[in-house]
Amino acid sequence: MSYVGESAIRIDAVAKVKGEALYPGDFNLLGQTYMKILFANRPHAIVHSIDTRLAESIPGVIAILTAKDVPVNEYGLIMPDQPVLCGPGSNKPYADRVRFIGDQVAVVIAETEEIAAKARDAIVVDYEDLPVVTNVHEAIRPDAFKIHPDRDSNVFGHYRIRKGNIEEGFRRADVIIEGDYSTPVQEHAYLQPEAGLGYIDEQGRVTVVVAGQWTHEDQHQIAHSLNLPVEQIRVIYPAIGGAFGGREDMSVQIVLALAAWKLHQLGINRPVKIIWSREESFIGHHKRHPYFIHTRWGATKEGKVVAAEVELIGDGGAYAYTSTKVLGNATLMCTGPYEIPNVKVDSYAVYTTTIPNGAFRGFGGPQGAFAAESQMNKLAEALNMDPVDFRLKNLLQEGSLLSVGTPLPKGVTIREVVEACAESAGWRFTNGKWSKAVPPQNFERYQHLKRGIGFACSFKNVGFSFGAPEQCMAKIELYGQAEIERAVLYHSGAEVGQGAHTAFVQMAAEALDVPLERIHLVASDTAYTENSGSASASRMTFMAGNAIRGAAQLALEKWAAEERPAVGLFQYRPPRTTPYDPETGKSEPNFAYGYVAEAAEVEVDIETGEVRLVNLICADDVGKAVNPQQVQGQIEGAVVQAAGYALMENFVQKDGEVLTRGLSTYLIPTVLDIPEQVKSIILEYPDPIGPFGARGMGEMPYLPLVPAVTAAIHDAVGIWFDDFPLTSERVCNELKRLKLSA
Amino acid sequence: MLPEFDLVMPENLQQALENLGQRNPGVVPVAGGTNLTVDMRSRRHTPATLVNIEHIQELTGILQEDDRIEIGSCVTIAEILKSPIIAAVAPALIEAARGFANPLIRNRATIGGNLADASPAADTAPSLLVHNAQVELWSKKNRRILPLDEFFVGVRKTVLQPDEIIKSVHVPKTNRPSASSFYKLGLRKADAISVASVAVYLEKKNGACGQVRIAMGSVAPKPLRAYAAEELLTGKHLSLKLIEEAAKLAAEASSPISDIRGSAEYRRRMVFVLTRRLLTHLAEMMELKDW
Ligand SMILES: Cc1cc2nc3c(=O)[nH]c(=O)nc-3n(C[C@H](O)[C@H](O)[C@H](O)COP(=O)(O)OP(=O)(O)OC[C@H]3O[C@@H](n4cnc5c(N)ncnc54)[C@H](O)[C@@H]3O)c2cc1C
Repeated sequence: MSYVGESAIRIDAVAKVKGEALYPGDFNLLGQTYMKILFANRPHAIVHSIDTRLAESIPGVIAILTAKDVPVNEYGLIMPDQPVLCGPGSNKPYADRVRFIGDQVAVVIAETEEIAAKARDAIVVDYEDLPVVTNVHEAIRPDAFKIHPDRDSNVFGHYRIRKGNIEEGFRRADVIIEGDYSTPVQEHAYLQPEAGLGYIDEQGRVTVVVAGQWTHEDQHQIAHSLNLPVEQIRVIYPAIGGAFGGREDMSVQIVLALAAWKLHQLGINRPVKIIWSREESFIGHHKRHPYFIHTRWGATKEGKVVAAEVELIGDGGAYAYTSTKVLGNATLMCTGPYEIPNVKVDSYAVYTTTIPNGAFRGFGGPQGAFAAESQMNKLAEALNMDPVDFRLKNLLQEGSLLSVGTPLPKGVTIREVVEACAESAGWRFTNGKWSKAVPPQNFERYQHLKRGIGFACSFKNVGFSFGAPEQCMAKIELYGQAEIERAVLYHSGAEVGQGAHTAFVQMAAEALDVPLERIHLVASDTAYTENSGSASASRMTFMAGNAIRGAAQLALEKWAAEERPAVGLFQYRPPRTTPYDPETGKSEPNFAYGYVAEAAEVEVDIETGEVRLVNLICADDVGKAVNPQQVQGQIEGAVVQAAGYALMENFVQKDGEVLTRGLSTYLIPTVLDIPEQVKSIILEYPDPIGPFGARGMGEMPYLPLVPAVTAAIHDAVGIWFDDFPLTSERVCNELKRLKLSA
Repeated sequence: MLPEFDLVMPENLQQALENLGQRNPGVVPVAGGTNLTVDMRSRRHTPATLVNIEHIQELTGILQEDDRIEIGSCVTIAEILKSPIIAAVAPALIEAARGFANPLIRNRATIGGNLADASPAADTAPSLLVHNAQVELWSKKNRRILPLDEFFVGVRKTVLQPDEIIKSVHVPKTNRPSASSFYKLGLRKADAISVASVAVYLEKKNGACGQVRIAMGSVAPKPLRAYAAEELLTGKHLSLKLIEEAAKLAAEASSPISDIRGSAEYRRRMVFVLTRRLLTHLAEMMELKDW
């Protein structure tokens, strides 16, 4: 019996469909109190004083905490540059400032949510405004106002790649394309706004029930800020209503733990509950980075790309979050899945006083891919070549060197993926060339509707990159006598809605050769499960699968040795990766990749500027589809999310304020806006080190969509768009400017 | 969180009017509540008492009269969408209902609430305007019938008195060959406040254009008619050039603002585009095209 490769029914399906699954906001404990957070609501200021007297006098207020109450007033996933609470009396330098509107200034704990809100509004804060620095090009200048005065400049991340000789490369080029691209902010807009419950458990552990992506990292960050041993913190993830990278960094975790702990110290042993409104969620958690990319590529008339020079600036917002890691990825992805002999890349992560930017599906890949694929499409046009044919002359192959001077890990299949997608989208290989056999159909009757087809492809790393420590743990206990009656799998991997837990169970069943119903999963509770790293970087199935296989093997060995229960605990460590060399960028960036190609057909209404996605074909090499239905779900979900990014989602910030503070002004696609047809082509070329051959795939379908759509728009109306979202008005104005519309 | 309020559940229209008749601005009717609850949550409105009129029998149902239909003010958008009577008399209103909000909201939102709320973007308004609809207003003491065009005053302002409710909306019938259509341009296909919308009603008379009416939404403080454009077309043979001129006049009659959804310039341009598109479409449909 084979359990891997089956579209098994998700183990969480019934509870979720029946509304019985419990999300963080659904947990209640007897005697619980309610918390509200006072957000700065101004982009940049020194907090001179916080007067809580009036607020404290409101009946029902239990405690109000400010910076002086935080044992170690700093946190951060990559570097601890953010105060838990901003204000005077802090034990960290410059923690008396707010740097974006969502910085947290005080927390109020009260008998009811209403009282907490009232008390929050009664807190009087004396601010001294500081310069608002929202333009990344200004922030990067040496004389710019320093947002973190303890640092030399607002630039907090920088990478260089130097491969070959860039001048020589351009000398060899017959055509050179130069472009300035920019990509917008995007909000995760997950269904479940941040929420949680904090309490002291029966063993005295400060416990939080929240939604996150990495229980053990949350645990560490809480322990650091509370100055408590890690073992005294417990993090539990119940059902999670979406994440997409938006829960990689802390939101309510630390303040909930702080509140429960401080109450406990005051002798008040009552749980603390918080639920953010959508507006609080919008200003309270990070967004996708806007990137500004200046780039110049050259190719020979035979169709070989010979030089690529790129400068990337990523707007990090107020704090680092994962900006440097995102930048690392973008730096690698900005030259695409192509073998280019001469490459020069300089990239920068820069602080501004806007909402921090951080992890979001694709993690720098979409920004890099937009520039790279747009350049490829423009070069193809300039060379009068078919965009698929041109790509195939340049794709990375087994053994070819990346921009960082090393080959990809074995199992390079970008060519197979590109060909499968192109074929399905109507390209044919004839007379030694690929060309579009079926041009898009326009309608005689509707002169204002123009159709076009565009193509793009990408590669996406699986797992943490550039030398970041990478590992995943799993434990399996086998119970029974003659046969295995029950297998218990302990795993921390976060089920953020992607179906990870079902995949875990399937892989455990396969590795143990035990029916699915006999696998019992204990998940995501640091009191019982070991560190498995985050549900991010398309890594969870890959890493968890390898850990589960290892644990299964150990447990089966003990089972054979008649141990009852037979227990296997295994830590999987993938091949080592290395960081960028500071001068040349030389590195072994990743241990595995997935490969993807997309063809988009669009219809442009040249009078209104409306762009409709008619047809989308997405070919993905996933190595092995552990659960094909879930793979299809990831492809369709990624495509829809990227379609929102391309055409609609418009997060408007002005002088550090947010003008789109909810889902009535920040619009995401509805079911009527998504591509009418999404064809998922699932290819299974096994990854040599993937579990059962699987590669990670949750992000990659997102990457090529925007450049495929802009290429399709170009095919339809002859305009290149180098920034987006392509709202109707934007498209209409451009058509009008170029006099292409009636 | 909603502020606290009292809820009155009158059994019939008389009782409702009694309640509202206290002329106390803190007492307001609620039908579907799809505007009111949003406004209350944001504290834009904090009425002390809500009088629930949604189930009052006199306010529900669609009545057929000889010369008109009467749509009860508490008829929902979902009911409009599946009404063959409305489809026969006012096809543009069906199109407006189709692009209205989402299925959940359509099940609750009422035509009366949409008009009483008087948003410049109220989606039923342009279609009703081009069909020469009237509103029947009742209070405890008074009853009156007004053309819809005189009902709107400005952004979310109407001539409704605090003690008055919309009882029904009258849409006249005609024997003359006619057609109507509506187009809403939003930032997405569903659940979007319109950036600009246009409705057109066209009659055919002696092979030429008879009565014609054009109305626009989201491009002025209130939904409004494009009278000059209508005049230009009445009695004429419809050439593409004439249609284009009329569309220009409609655009000129609009006075849009720039906001987060769109610039004034784009909106005005869209009035032109949509008016031209609808007129062309209806002219073709009615075999009136002279090109
Ligand atoms: C998610 C969402 C999407 C929406 N999308 C659209 C859309 O696409 N197009 C659109 O036009 N609108 C839209 N709306 C707005 C709203 O749904 C409509 O305006 C709806 O028709 C209001 O009707 P109601 O019955 O819910 O009004 P209510 O909220 O009950 O009342 C609205 C106002 O009218 C008054 N009122 C109600 N009935 C009467 C009456 N008979 N006589 C006098 N006064 C009365 C109330 O006192 C109140 O001031 C949307 C709203 C939401 C929440």
